[in-house]
Amino acid sequence: MIDLSLNEVETLCAKAARGAGFSWGLAEDIGRAARRIAVEDENWGMAMLCLAENAQSLTAPDPARAARWRKGEADKPAQTPLCPIRTAALLLDAPLPASALPLAILGVGLPVWLDAMLRRSAMRVARPAGLAKRADVVIEHRAEIERPATGRRGAIDERTLAALNSFAARTYVPESERSRMRGAGGGRVDDE
Amino acid sequence: MTAIALRPPEVVMCLERLGAAHPTRLSFLRQLIRRATREKWRVRKHLFDLNDNGFGRAVYAVETSARTYSLVAFSTPLDDEKRSDRVIAQAWDTSYVLYDGLPDAAEIARLEANAPLQEAGRYTRSELVLARANKSVRLFEDVASALARGQQPDEEQLLGVGYLLRTTAVYGNGKFGIADRDEIAARPELAGSFQAEMLTVWLIRSFTLDLVDHIARCRNPAGAVRLAPQLRRALGVGNATGLGMAPFLVRHPLLTHNWFLARETALARVRAEPEAGEAERKIFEQALADLAQRVARWHSDDDRQAAATRSLAADLDRLAENLDRLLAKPQPWDALYRFAEEHFSLEGQEACVSLMLEPHGALVDELGDIMKADETPGHAIDGGMDCASLRQALLDCYSWARAIDFAQPAANARFWYVSAEKLEPRLGERFEEDGAELEQPLATARDALSLAAALAQEPAPASVADFLLRRPEWRHAVRRAQIVAKFPYAEIHDNLIGAELRPVDILRAKLAFFGARSFDPRSDRWLRIALFSGEPLIEDVATMAGEAA
Repeated sequence: MIDLSLNEVETLCAKAARGAGFSWGLAEDIGRAARRIAVEDENWGMAMLCLAENAQSLTAPDPARAARWRKGEADKPAQTPLCPIRTAALLLDAPLPASALPLAILGVGLPVWLDAMLRRSAMRVARPAGLAKRADVVIEHRAEIERPATGRRGAIDERTLAALNSFAARTYVPESERSRMRGAGGGRVDDE
Repeated sequence: MTAIALRPPEVVMCLERLGAAHPTRLSFLRQLIRRATREKWRVRKHLFDLNDNGFGRAVYAVETSARTYSLVAFSTPLDDEKRSDRVIAQAWDTSYVLYDGLPDAAEIARLEANAPLQEAGRYTRSELVLARANKSVRLFEDVASALARGQQPDEEQLLGVGYLLRTTAVYGNGKFGIADRDEIAARPELAGSFQAEMLTVWLIRSFTLDLVDHIARCRNPAGAVRLAPQLRRALGVGNATGLGMAPFLVRHPLLTHNWFLARETALARVRAEPEAGEAERKIFEQALADLAQRVARWHSDDDRQAAATRSLAADLDRLAENLDRLLAKPQPWDALYRFAEEHFSLEGQEACVSLMLEPHGALVDELGDIMKADETPGHAIDGGMDCASLRQALLDCYSWARAIDFAQPAANARFWYVSAEKLEPRLGERFEEDGAELEQPLATARDALSLAAALAQEPAPASVADFLLRRPEWRHAVRRAQIVAKFPYAEIHDNLIGAELRPVDILRAKLAFFGARSFDPRSDRWLRIALFSGEPLIEDVATMAGEAA
């Protein structure tokens, strides 16, 4: 196992999320949420890998479904699992009215991410489902917003780390001879 | 007292002015020195186990009010051809760890196996900062030789360079497994921006001075002399900084805002003072004389910096000639600033800002406390805002960008990317190199204008949350726009992908906040600087009278 700092967890997961196809802004959100998972769960690496590997099969809530949530109407599941990141982003951007809570959302993919994304908000997942691939969840009001924990680390096994690094590597640009020459501008050998 | 408005962001945040920034008494190393002096921090050499050639290990323990921190230093042989300023180099003359507490023998052995490897090593939460430095080869040898002969080195040569070793990287905040910033953020002595990093560099400075003394004494135990106290105090630690640091100010908009807000608030307070007291005038005159002396020694082969330094020297002469007249006016410091604004180069104007703050510690030092930020609040998006309001906020905040035509190749000439080989930020040529599809989100002005155009296609009352549900690709730009609308110094008011961009301007602005001097651009994308030159030695602060710095 390799012990990462939480900043390394956040940076790695943001890059891997971007590499998996999430937008830059969502990738930032995912990095922060990964940090929260790592604080409490040794399986943060696997949670991130599942998210990266399944990114393309998760779907965003459609506007009609989102409108039903806001009105407090019963949810109707879609064929494909609901993207926990896109769902959480919507709930964070436009918090549900108190009258709509608690709210059951059906067929959420990787609900651990919905829980982590909402961790610093006034909402929470009522009974977190751990690393389930897909689950129905209940969003409820959270009375007190948690303070971030300190003194924690993010342990990860080498294989999962390598897999996440390969997602992150999709955001890197290979060097050309020309860019290699230009580099960061620093001198090759310092003889002064 | 007539209040003075803060200089607006369109003046403060343009790259040309950022590239003329000077350190002030609010700079991070000055904040650290003030606290250490006030709290009488004590430093002792816990271990100094170097051979006759200066290779081995040393531990410097610093006792603050609440805790002990230790600089663990390793000095190793290095072939000359491996000595490089580049952050991606693989070997160094010296490597360092700032350790949380006092390491025992087992911990020192663990660090000795890892610290010289830097990125290739792994670290724990006991390590707060990781750094390495190379000797300034010729100067280091000249100084060691002179001291071994029983002579002091040539002062002009020594101060012309200004340091014996130059750091090529100083890492904090969890890099390579070291402690997260969160772990020290609640400790008063390290809560401010980059205080752990500055403490590390301050201790490295003492180690470099002891290292050269040690080598000289080993060469000639009977006849060597120690480096003279005034030379020890004059020397700092060098640093080479390249593109890797440039995105920091863009990626930390709230922190950037707070740094500039503190400095601009300090300037406005000083300008609003109704008169200049005798004590303040004396301190100002001394600071002016010190700066003039530094400027005379400020060497750079960079044509633009050399010209700017010449202009600065002329500006300082003119300031000295007009000082009595200006300080006799009502609101004398405002008169002085206005005179600088009217007559001086940007380099001269920003030097004046620094000089004006110098005598006014009682008025401005508390502003140091706001120069930190938890970026979390800025992370939340106000999705309840309507698209028309967000578009208007963008047009207002980025009005300066509307003059840029991104359809022109020169305005869109570059792209920021992360190199697969070096894992470091790089700047590519969009129309000449591959990889632009992997561009990092640092094209702030272009993205802001493009977002405004996308919002124009939306129904005016549509919510930002609904817009982002359909267009998640704009999430980073929406987040930034809402931050910039609230925090005016959060954004650099220039095109960061234009053909004319000089990344060293961004680097200089950040380094000036650290407290760097002697800016020496070596190209448009990297520069050398000195830290702590002319400042007290850390081992002296416990016995210094009053509040220094």
